Amino acid sequence: MHSYVRPNQFVALRLPSEFTKIQKIEPDSTVFLGKFGSFPANQIIGRPFYLTFEILDDADEKDGSCLRIIPAAELHAETLIAEGEGDGEELDTNEDGTPMRTNREIVDDASTQKLTWEEIEALKKESGGAGREIISKLLESHQTLDQKTSFSLAKYMLRKRRKYMKRFTVLPLDVSILTNHMMEDQGAARIMELRDEMVGLLGCWGNVHHGGDASLDEAIAAKPNGRYLVVDDTGGLVVAAMAERMGILYPHDGDEYEEQGSSDEPKKNEAEQAHDDEQPPTESSTHRPARPAHMSASGNSITVLHPNKQPNLSLLKYFGYSQDNPDETHPLHKHLKTISWLQLLDPNADPIYSEEPEIIPESELYTMKSNKRGAYYRKRNRWTRVQSVVNEARAGEFDGLIVATVMDPSSVLKYAVPLLAGSAHVAVYSPSIEPLTELSDLYSTAKKTAFINRRQQLREQKLQQSSDQPDANETELQDSDLSELMAEFYLDPTLLLAPTLQNSRVRPWQVLPGRTHPLMSMRGGAEGYIFHAVRVIPTQQTIQAAGNLSRKKRKVVTQETPTTAVDSGSGVDVEMKS
Amino acid sequence: MHSPFLTPGSRSQLDNLALLQLRRDQTIPTILQLHDEKNGGYKEGKVTNTRFGSFPHITLCDQPWGSQIIASKVDTGSRGRTQKMKRKADELDSSTQAEDKPSPQTPVAASSGFLHLLYPTPELWTASLPHRTQVVYTPDYSYILHRLRARPGSTVIEAGAGSGSFTHASVRAVFNGYPSDDQPTKKRRLGKVCSFEFHAQRAEKVRVEVNQHGLDGLVEVTHRDVYEDGFLLGDPKTGKSPKANAIFLDLPAPWLALKHLVRNPPEGTESPLDPTSPVYICTFSPCLEQVQRTISTLRQLGWLGISMVEVNNRRIEVKRERVGLDLGNIRGTVVFPKSVDEAVERTRALEERAQLFRATQNQSDGDSTPAPKAENEAKGGQQESEVPVYKQGRVMTRSELDLKNHTSYLVFAILPREWTEEDEKRCREKWPSNRVQEPQGPQKSKKQLKRESREKRDLQRKEQSQPETESQKE
Repeated sequence: MHSYVRPNQFVALRLPSEFTKIQKIEPDSTVFLGKFGSFPANQIIGRPFYLTFEILDDADEKDGSCLRIIPAAELHAETLIAEGEGDGEELDTNEDGTPMRTNREIVDDASTQKLTWEEIEALKKESGGAGREIISKLLESHQTLDQKTSFSLAKYMLRKRRKYMKRFTVLPLDVSILTNHMMEDQGAARIMELRDEMVGLLGCWGNVHHGGDASLDEAIAAKPNGRYLVVDDTGGLVVAAMAERMGILYPHDGDEYEEQGSSDEPKKNEAEQAHDDEQPPTESSTHRPARPAHMSASGNSITVLHPNKQPNLSLLKYFGYSQDNPDETHPLHKHLKTISWLQLLDPNADPIYSEEPEIIPESELYTMKSNKRGAYYRKRNRWTRVQSVVNEARAGEFDGLIVATVMDPSSVLKYAVPLLAGSAHVAVYSPSIEPLTELSDLYSTAKKTAFINRRQQLREQKLQQSSDQPDANETELQDSDLSELMAEFYLDPTLLLAPTLQNSRVRPWQVLPGRTHPLMSMRGGAEGYIFHAVRVIPTQQTIQAAGNLSRKKRKVVTQETPTTAVDSGSGVDVEMKS
Repeated sequence: MHSPFLTPGSRSQLDNLALLQLRRDQTIPTILQLHDEKNGGYKEGKVTNTRFGSFPHITLCDQPWGSQIIASKVDTGSRGRTQKMKRKADELDSSTQAEDKPSPQTPVAASSGFLHLLYPTPELWTASLPHRTQVVYTPDYSYILHRLRARPGSTVIEAGAGSGSFTHASVRAVFNGYPSDDQPTKKRRLGKVCSFEFHAQRAEKVRVEVNQHGLDGLVEVTHRDVYEDGFLLGDPKTGKSPKANAIFLDLPAPWLALKHLVRNPPEGTESPLDPTSPVYICTFSPCLEQVQRTISTLRQLGWLGISMVEVNNRRIEVKRERVGLDLGNIRGTVVFPKSVDEAVERTRALEERAQLFRATQNQSDGDSTPAPKAENEAKGGQQESEVPVYKQGRVMTRSELDLKNHTSYLVFAILPREWTEEDEKRCREKWPSNRVQEPQGPQKSKKQLKRESREKRDLQRKEQSQPETESQKE
């Protein structure tokens, strides 16, 4: 949990213009906020999040502090006053009920503001009060201010405040804030226009959660819990979101408890902790007891499947984790595993996996130069790591699959779904609906029925052929038959149950005394859709679905005319042979 | 006790909740048991009867999750009707069956019918739970929990447990290990949900559910009117603070509960909030008037970042729509020309046939009429076999019929940590405000840094070794 600003942490600064700026808070540095001014980073380190600061023009003489914390009452002052005055529910009206002030008399022209541009610039240089003085001057010299309705006056004030107030709010950089920041201020295309509401929905439908205490669980269940497969083309945002849900995103997540345990003197603890943070990481790493092996977690882990040699998870840097130079103390170091599609599907084609570096005996190692020895260990470690990660991934039994990809999602599901354990959930995000409708169609009931019938047909053919050869396995289809099936159906539609497609949109409102309505504009662009389904294990026995649909009395259709039984709508009264 | 919601393992277990999925929106939650106390009388022990067949629990236990389970032949007709039997022979049978109850018989597989055995998740549970009040559905709670920053290790207060859908979703979000009595975890804070419900019966039901679902210790249910008595665990005045990081209020008048959710309660009781973290709140109200009062109270109590949204979710149906004259007589096909060309061709063909018909009529010989018709039908039949039905037509999407237009308005707000003058002073001492180092030149590369540190190390070593050598000289 984010309780205070730690040194060298990334934070988001919300500016009066509603923009957010992501900033690494390095001790003893200066943070620049463009036209809103600048301040020394030390003045926000150690302070709690969500406070709004005002940049003062003249620093405190004693300690040079130039920030003032704005109390909540002051932030809400205007609305609280408006609420006090008759709850702001009624408009100012004349006796006959018509609004007293309307915009009927207002003529649109620039001459109403008597201050010139030059004068405003001069004011900016001279005046203090963090912009409040400018705004009051602007109001004073506005000619038709008294004609404005209270609504338009409020709007005017807001506009001016956004322009001139020297304020900022410090927000903890978490997935939600990063998502909104990327959507609004950065290229939304980089994160596939993944909206904040979709992040939550994706995680829920994927059933992504902490896998529990590994040490305790391993004794009871043989299977490690909480292993998720992720395909992420959003530069690491989806991985970050899932890691957040699994409690492995924030390096300081575990620390807070100590702070909380001794509630008598939490401040002292905090101070100590902050002191620890001060130390450069190199120092602390020397006296750490044991180095946790890279990608070694058995449960509560994320396995990222990436198309290129290296995954693109650049956004994780905001959470203190860089793929190129992983920090060993970060939980992702142990719990985040990466594997390329090539390594998954054809591991022997990848030399890192298949070519074991020669083992050099200890005696020989001592004679080597230190950098050569280091290189040798690095190579050995990398080989063992890739071996274990690839073998583990190929063994499957994952607890969920989360996909946000620019590739064809059906190609991802074709290879990834068989790796899931039964009852595991699949959630696929796509900015537009078409890839997902194709996907839904591939898993349609009609496809399932046709697939099962076709497989049965092939089996029977096989049975006939093998009747002369008694030792042939009857039930197992050979690869050649499977490939015939796959050529027709592309993927096995019987592995997923209840494919559902949905979209979700959040509509923000403005709630102010007497002025409540949905916000006038919001971001368009990609709508965002989620495909969800459950991995199931179809039985190998021949069974038929029993359907007693009350309205239409249809006999369960026999196998000779499989195609007529198909109806994608009702979904149950179809023959199922497996 | 393990919860199948959180750590389902790989197989279904006895006495645990399992979901029997019949079709997409039809799921039966059931506790797997060999013997049924209430409904005894089946040869096979406890049986769940569905429209797709009967499923003795003995066929559902210890199966891999996700398995497709085949229905069994169960004598449903004769059981339990000992008084009003229609046929006496059956009555005799059933009475003898009842006697050998302790050992359930091995069921015989039926010829048709199946279901899928799934482990429960908050999503599937929400779709199948017994309704007691308005349910908070997945699109809403997913967004709420995301905005509330309910993460592993957090503590969530939920007021208005209602039907328990949010309870299950939030416990999954905060779960990071089961509490154990013998070794209290010092280092890690375990996630917890504190659920308050003012309706005695509903509170009891939630409590039973929590127990059945293996969530004891992770969810603490309190029967309480939170407007009056606040959010402390145990005694309303002197109880333990839950130290909540996130709060969800699904109450008719959330503004009445807000007075208890402050950093320093006026009566001197302990605050239910976590003193070391910001606290996130969400209220869930269907009406705008409720929202306005809530927000007004939040402002007065100094909550920040107040925002209100509504979530609009829609499920989309994907279907192949078949329009055309040549697609044959399959259910769901619209027999209508699929294009202008087809329409023209069809009309032309009809016209030609009519002409032919007229011509033959004129000849007053009825022999040649059937020929063109037969030809036409043969053509249609041929095309049907060319493209399999699942590839015919065009994939179309539309919203599903039962659309939820409005669930509730969600109000979010944040209460930062308390920050006193002394805290600020201490912080200023530790982080001197005016200590600023100007960034020196361009950033150094990793190599450069390494070289520098090596040089530094060498220098240190030299310094260390020098006095030694000097002392040796002496």
